[in-house]
Amino acid sequence: MNSSPRAGWLALPYGLWLLAAFAAPLGAVALLSVQESSEMFAPLSLLPSGAQYAELLGDRFYVRVFLNTIWLGLGVAAASTFLAYPLALWLTRLPPRWKPVGFAVVLVPLLTNVVVRSLGIILLLAPRGIVSGIGQFFGLPPSNLLFGWFAVGLALTQVFLPYMVLALYDVLDGQDKRLEEAAAGLGAGPAMRFLRVILPLSLPGLRAGLTVTFLMASTAYVSATLVGGRKVWVSGMVVLKEGMEILNYPLAAALAMMMLGASVVVTILIGRAIGFLTPWVTGRAPRFRLSLPPGLRRPLVAVAEAAAPVVSRFLLALAIGVLIFPLLLVAVASVNDSPQATVAQFVGFTWKWYGMVLQNERYLSDAWVSVKLALACVAISLAIALPASFALVRAGFRGREVLGAALMLPLALPGIAIGLGMLRLLQWFTALPPFMGVLAVHVVLVAPFMLALLRASVAGLDRTLEEAASGLGAPPARVFRKVILPQLGPGIAVACVIGFLLSFGEVTVTAFLTTARLQTLPVRIYAESTFSLENTVNAISTIFILMTVAMLILVNRFMPLDRVWKR
Amino acid sequence: MSIQTSRRALLAAAALAAPAIWGRDAVAQIRRGDELTVGIWGGAQERITRQFCATPLERQHGVKINYVLGGTPERRARAYAERGRPSFDLLYLNIFESRQAVKDGVTMASSANVPNFANLYDIAKIGGYAVAFNPVTIVYDRRKVAAPMTSWRDFWRDDLKGKVIWPTYPGAQGTSALLMAAKVWGGSESNIDPAFTNIARLRPFAAIQGSQDQLYGMFDQDVGAASVEFGSFTRKYAETRNPNIVIADPTEGQAIATNVACITTGTRNQALAEAFVNLHLSPECQAAYAEEIYYSPTIKNVSFAPELAAKLILGEAAVNKLVDFNWDLVIANQPRWSSRFTREIAG
Repeated sequence: MNSSPRAGWLALPYGLWLLAAFAAPLGAVALLSVQESSEMFAPLSLLPSGAQYAELLGDRFYVRVFLNTIWLGLGVAAASTFLAYPLALWLTRLPPRWKPVGFAVVLVPLLTNVVVRSLGIILLLAPRGIVSGIGQFFGLPPSNLLFGWFAVGLALTQVFLPYMVLALYDVLDGQDKRLEEAAAGLGAGPAMRFLRVILPLSLPGLRAGLTVTFLMASTAYVSATLVGGRKVWVSGMVVLKEGMEILNYPLAAALAMMMLGASVVVTILIGRAIGFLTPWVTGRAPRFRLSLPPGLRRPLVAVAEAAAPVVSRFLLALAIGVLIFPLLLVAVASVNDSPQATVAQFVGFTWKWYGMVLQNERYLSDAWVSVKLALACVAISLAIALPASFALVRAGFRGREVLGAALMLPLALPGIAIGLGMLRLLQWFTALPPFMGVLAVHVVLVAPFMLALLRASVAGLDRTLEEAASGLGAPPARVFRKVILPQLGPGIAVACVIGFLLSFGEVTVTAFLTTARLQTLPVRIYAESTFSLENTVNAISTIFILMTVAMLILVNRFMPLDRVWKR
Repeated sequence: MSIQTSRRALLAAAALAAPAIWGRDAVAQIRRGDELTVGIWGGAQERITRQFCATPLERQHGVKINYVLGGTPERRARAYAERGRPSFDLLYLNIFESRQAVKDGVTMASSANVPNFANLYDIAKIGGYAVAFNPVTIVYDRRKVAAPMTSWRDFWRDDLKGKVIWPTYPGAQGTSALLMAAKVWGGSESNIDPAFTNIARLRPFAAIQGSQDQLYGMFDQDVGAASVEFGSFTRKYAETRNPNIVIADPTEGQAIATNVACITTGTRNQALAEAFVNLHLSPECQAAYAEEIYYSPTIKNVSFAPELAAKLILGEAAVNKLVDFNWDLVIANQPRWSSRFTREIAG
């Protein structure tokens, strides 16, 4: 089983699914991007033209937006990394009873509506906001941090941080605690233990986290629109504007394809860099070793050890604050007797928004559709992503990194571009049963996340246990059930929770696919927000958060979120 | 005898009506079990039209009205992608989107098939059936300006320097703002340069807003002093949340904006769609819109209590005072202006 090329076939179901449900919209976008005419109703030409790409590359504005977007993605990935490590370590050290609550804290931003989250950022950064207030208390002039790159970066970090934390959680939880103890016994302080033991061993998880946060941040556009105040332009916004408002599909498609290309390159580079830093995974000798002269090393280590407790606590507090801030706003707003959703002032107390949600059968039936969709989506995604993750970790063929990047493609194409591609295919799509059609697309959007997380978990498996079981005569199926699955339990649970939430909350692509027969709850909320957001949205978010805590407690019962036997 | 007469009358009526019924094709009749698909915004829009249009039709004809809720961009993009074989029978667009859709063969022009068509103001008959006047005007925070704003030129006053929240282009508000700027600085739809030059002079903006909700959030947080927005819903906001906000009535006039019901070309439920629109144009439905969100009626045969009437655009004179534009030119220039706006104003 060690590095067998045959394991590559395990990626086949996943690949087939992508071919069936993703190749078509991607093909449509690719074909649109090589059209010479930007005319809406011009017949599609099969003769490729580089006109759209030439226009993009010849325009300094587009080039600047494109590069800024990539920088933004890298910045958000880096910021998430710094905040996620203390948080993920805190999560692994929580007593089992408190785990579900800890997870719920991490998941809060994913459960709150993007508009409400953005209102929170505005409240935080506005001239009369909290940060400015604290600054003024210390004698600084009033500051306006809103409507700029900082605000957009903060908004994106807030919502993508959970993915990074969960990607790191499983590899950190799976680490052999004796290694850290050994390092401590040999005199390493907390800073050195982190830098020399914990961090290197968690790099496969970091790869998953960096990939996911980069891809999501570089394709996001809603937060940038809401808190960037249109002074910040990212590629997704240009795709939306050219594609949806101006109806210039070819230009929008060409920009989306450029983003796709850049994302693939960055994904491969991240994979290469992590591979370079983890030579032991493939059994290679390290290519280089960072060493400082002893005279420099000793004071540096002393400073690091002295600073570590303060810095890690500060980062942990900051991360928790960033995550649960929206929760406070949402909970308060959900009982605010104001006709429009606002966080600026409390008008009066009321339960009426909850009443409106719970008595309105339309909300309930849409929520039920979303739940069914998300459950089916998670089941299928797990069934195709788990074998694929074994293929990526254990198959010993060349081009594994390229295959890995290819399987992440749906994340690299902005959701809005997938929507554009689907528009071209609507007449075929509407021939499918509505539930199946939307499900097929949701799996495409969710499976890459689950693959990224599961890949890190599979990489962390202790192979000696499998070899021991096989040596004692256990058939492969039994090895899988009795040895592999228990080790993967927390990883699978985390991946499923993320997958469920992603499908449950998806709106960008689903908004194009909604028909009279199938409407999801997020699309309903989005439709309401396009006119005016009411506090029912906040009531729904609060209910979701409570339900998530309940769900996590349940999951924890049947599939423990940590590895008890490792303690 | 009387039975005889009425039977004869019935036969005669049937004989007269037969050619009319057979002459119109199937789309022109409402049959039990028909399903109408309506693309519209959520929230108050869904509530009011369900109450006044969908439910009565479902009760009366045994039909089913399906709503596809969403934002205008998705709705419009889908209608374009499905031109000629639409999944929507009826969808709602803004003033220039609706006119463009008729030109592009995506939706149909209005016709007298809808009985309430006869009550529409002339300007509400173009590009489909306008169901609401929702004019765009100056809105500002009275605490943050030196004097009330009474002209579109007031945005360029010294006391507003750095405090203007400009609306993004191409939305309904951004389009009106751009065109009004052109107008007050000696330009027009065919000479847009003065608008861009002068709007650029307003930089730096306090912010650029992309929707009414976003603007209200900004007003809540004291981000800026004045912007360009729909007067209707902003009045609701001012009355319920922020009494410092003033809806101005500038001397040059408010810019026209409408919500338009558009029946798709190729729909198989034209008669049902027309019945839906007809109910939307009924005095009861129009009054509900006016009371709930201050949308002004597009029909002439509705009246209001003086207190509410003062907040609406009512009567031929008031409608004619709304500033109208050459929308064909506006549509034709949209890609170019959008690109300029992104580079010279936002960006």
